[in-house]
Amino acid sequence: MRRPHGPALWPYLLVAPTVLGGVLLLGYPLVRNLLISFQEYGMGELIRGGAGFTGFDNYRTVLADPVFWEVVRRTFWWTLVNVVLIMVIGTLVALMTQRLGRRMRVLVTSGLVLAWASPVIATTTVFQWLFASRTGVVNWVLVRLGFESFEGYSWLADGPAAFTVLVLLVVWQSVPFVAITLHSALLTVPAELYESARLDGAGAGRIFRSVTLPLLRPVFGLVLCLEVIWVFRCFAQIWAVTKGGPGDATTTLPVYAYRVAQSLHRYDLGAAVSTLTVLLLVAVLIAYFRQLLRQEADR
Amino acid sequence: MTPARRVTPRALRRLPLNAAAAITFLAAVFPVYWMVLTAFRPTRDIQSETPGFLPLSVTLEHFERAVAADGFWTFWRNSLLVTAGCVLLALVVALAAAFAVARMRWRGRRAFLLMVFVAQMAPWEALLIPMYVIARDADLLDRLPTLSLIYFMITLPFTVVTLRSFLAGVPAELEEAAQVDGCTRAAAFRRVTLPLLAPGLLATSLFGFITAWNEFAFANMLIIKNQDDRTLPVWLSSFSNVFGTDWGATMAASTLFALPVLVLFLVLQGRVAAGMTGGAVKG
Amino acid sequence: MNIRPLGRTAALAAAVVLAATACGGSDDPKASGGPEKVTVWIMKDSVTDAFLDRFRAGFEAEHRDIDLDIQIQEWDGIGEKVTAALASKDAPDVIEVGNTQVAQYAASGGVRDLGDKVAELNGADWVPGLAEPGKVDGKQYGIPWYAANRVVIYHKDLFAAAGVTPPKTQDEWLAVTAKLNKGKVQGIYLPGQNWYTLSGFVWEAGGDLAVREGGKWKGALDTPQALAGMDFYRKLQALGKGPEDADESKPPQAEVFARSDVAQIIAVPGGAKIVEEINPALKGRLGFFPVPGRTADKPGAVFTGGSDLIVPEASAHPDAAYEVVKALAGEKWQTDMARTMSYVPNRTSLARAVQDDEGTAVMAAGAAQGRATPNSPQWAAVEATNPIKQYMTAVLTGTDPAAAARTASESITRTLGS
Repeated sequence: MRRPHGPALWPYLLVAPTVLGGVLLLGYPLVRNLLISFQEYGMGELIRGGAGFTGFDNYRTVLADPVFWEVVRRTFWWTLVNVVLIMVIGTLVALMTQRLGRRMRVLVTSGLVLAWASPVIATTTVFQWLFASRTGVVNWVLVRLGFESFEGYSWLADGPAAFTVLVLLVVWQSVPFVAITLHSALLTVPAELYESARLDGAGAGRIFRSVTLPLLRPVFGLVLCLEVIWVFRCFAQIWAVTKGGPGDATTTLPVYAYRVAQSLHRYDLGAAVSTLTVLLLVAVLIAYFRQLLRQEADR
Repeated sequence: MTPARRVTPRALRRLPLNAAAAITFLAAVFPVYWMVLTAFRPTRDIQSETPGFLPLSVTLEHFERAVAADGFWTFWRNSLLVTAGCVLLALVVALAAAFAVARMRWRGRRAFLLMVFVAQMAPWEALLIPMYVIARDADLLDRLPTLSLIYFMITLPFTVVTLRSFLAGVPAELEEAAQVDGCTRAAAFRRVTLPLLAPGLLATSLFGFITAWNEFAFANMLIIKNQDDRTLPVWLSSFSNVFGTDWGATMAASTLFALPVLVLFLVLQGRVAAGMTGGAVKG
Repeated sequence: MNIRPLGRTAALAAAVVLAATACGGSDDPKASGGPEKVTVWIMKDSVTDAFLDRFRAGFEAEHRDIDLDIQIQEWDGIGEKVTAALASKDAPDVIEVGNTQVAQYAASGGVRDLGDKVAELNGADWVPGLAEPGKVDGKQYGIPWYAANRVVIYHKDLFAAAGVTPPKTQDEWLAVTAKLNKGKVQGIYLPGQNWYTLSGFVWEAGGDLAVREGGKWKGALDTPQALAGMDFYRKLQALGKGPEDADESKPPQAEVFARSDVAQIIAVPGGAKIVEEINPALKGRLGFFPVPGRTADKPGAVFTGGSDLIVPEASAHPDAAYEVVKALAGEKWQTDMARTMSYVPNRTSLARAVQDDEGTAVMAAGAAQGRATPNSPQWAAVEATNPIKQYMTAVLTGTDPAAAARTASESITRTLGS
């Protein structure tokens, strides 16, 4: 930018609506949520008002509960498994798509888009049904393939199995975004780069490492960060399929917060859990934010 | 013309690749296919113990029931209004912010960007109660615009971030050249940058569209007495009753529900993919 | 603390931001001086549309100053929605709530106490399974509306083919079902998570879901009696292909039964109508008998399901709302509804209204042994995550029953104590 245009007020005017919206529609509810987490706030207080402050009692209750820590561990495990699978499969699909002929490429991307755009409500229903113990297609196919033990197998009754079903669902829904974004990014890598790398005698693995990967890094970082956030916060799918069960086997932090708040009507404890959730997520992503800010400074 | 017709070593070499592509396609499409298939299948076949993978007997009864359900078109219109309101608002607001971030230097820019990123982590399910209380105390319950506003805020951070990277993909020099030719900065932006930004705008609005189109929890809790203001996701749950879920009708309803999004996506697909790249690489 | 004014400014500002895209909100319905508009929430499939039309016409003819707006509510997310309604400034005037849910709303302070109307509504005669949950600290918040309990619906042809007749005791029941369960025919379709049915078996064996000890509720699934009830459930469930991991709605058992290779299901009598709708060939082929007990002299204990009516404190028309409650809970519409829907009326003395309907008569016979879930405001929270369902699936898929029962009981104790 060689010379500044107009008065220095402009950028502030341009971001003002975003800031205003953020403060009123997000900041303010967050503050209210924070307040609730310091109060005694149940169904009675919601209806009649007059909640009293209890200091850090809710946080003490939550942090002293071994279930909470179990849930935190599970949430990290859940995020790790999903994000790794999503990124690996997404990258592979993107690399594959790049090498496909035109027809196959259109076919695959259309398929991915279909999976991506299907409403969560619909796909969760379909998945529950694919994995139904007696009438589900998955058991039917597994039995035909010779895995007799899956005759009438109850996927959602067993902790690890229910976890697996949810991972499959989330991965299935998330891979398209990663694959399509990375594929688009790959398209912008000039073909000459590959050509010259090949002329220099580099193998496929070498080309990937020294040409593709560095060019993909910024997109990859952004996508990774978004996926971590989305998977960590994932709620609708888990709630619709298992409600966090069986036992607590699929209860992650957002599910836990919702259950405490809406089922037990302990809005105060739910608020405390959600505040802690945000803090944890920020802690996880702090490294990425640092890097992001450094990039911004370089520009 | 088609490589498949010539049986050459090259086609053979491509076989594993194409097989992998076919598997990817099937894995991606099968659940969607199953949804549509069930929607067309007679109720008595749906609960059969041996699944049929092909539409051998087809019925439209589920679609008839879904469309005949009370207020289908009202809910459709409501969802469209809420979604369109949220998407348009988010685009306009985010575009301004993205422009300021991508094209101007000002104090607080980094902090602003950081806040936008952090805002993506907002625990929306947990904000249900505070939002409800705020809306109640401000007499904003039972109003569709309230929903639009909330969905706007849910999608805004993502929209700002992606539009920013799209904008970064359009060289600033183009605008500057136009300004040299005598355009004002606003006109330069409108005539030069905006057309180049179209795919990006489409891509981000689709994301907002899906989010708002799907939302259930706020729609359920903030629209209380005005039944005519309910949205499609709330309607979708109306095929469950005390005797269980009417799978056929649910799947038919889901199909109708997904249709606009799917069509929009497939039509725009090429542009979206191209748009996604533009900025993302330079983000 | 000064939050409310800020909230208003915030929302106003937000509304201004939206003005460009906003579509007009609806007008305030109670502004004009015409008849009072009373909003009534009825759950989906509680009663038929025809009944509601009759009621609306009949009621409005008698109350010219009241305009009824009957809204049908969906089951998904209903807990949140009723809570939101009770906490709002302009709530619906009458709400139907399930009898296992009513206690939590009653305890919240958002519901009007109708204790002074009990005599007028002949409350002494109410079905206890409906009246008790609606009562907290001697105040009557929930007014009984209707009850229904489960019976066994059976396929007459399959019974005849196997040469068996409806059983009278639990032992006979197992024997009969075993005989029916041959070849392609399922003796009974009992999904693993039909916890209402399990509750009946537990009560019949002398156990309970939870007991109150020194003012504190405690899960009781791990007592020998309760375990005996579960054991009977396990034996019965094995005599068919009911999925261990689902309840009766996934898949809908009516659809399974309609395939006509299932000899029995456990459902409310109204379920038979759904079955006949799906497969009209079954018309006249379905019979009913009460869930058998341990001895032949009386039927087994069953869970009394049903609904109460509540009037929110935030209702703008409490008097008109009470008129609606009075009519719905009164003899005329109770009789009509019991006949139309095959329900047990809210007063035991009205039961004769349904004598001539086979399914309802059988249900009424069973209703004498009707029981309700533990009367704690927190019980609804137990149902929300339902450890009982998980316990059942665990036992049916081979977990040690005593250990699973202990886990489930602890979970119930925790929830009831929170």
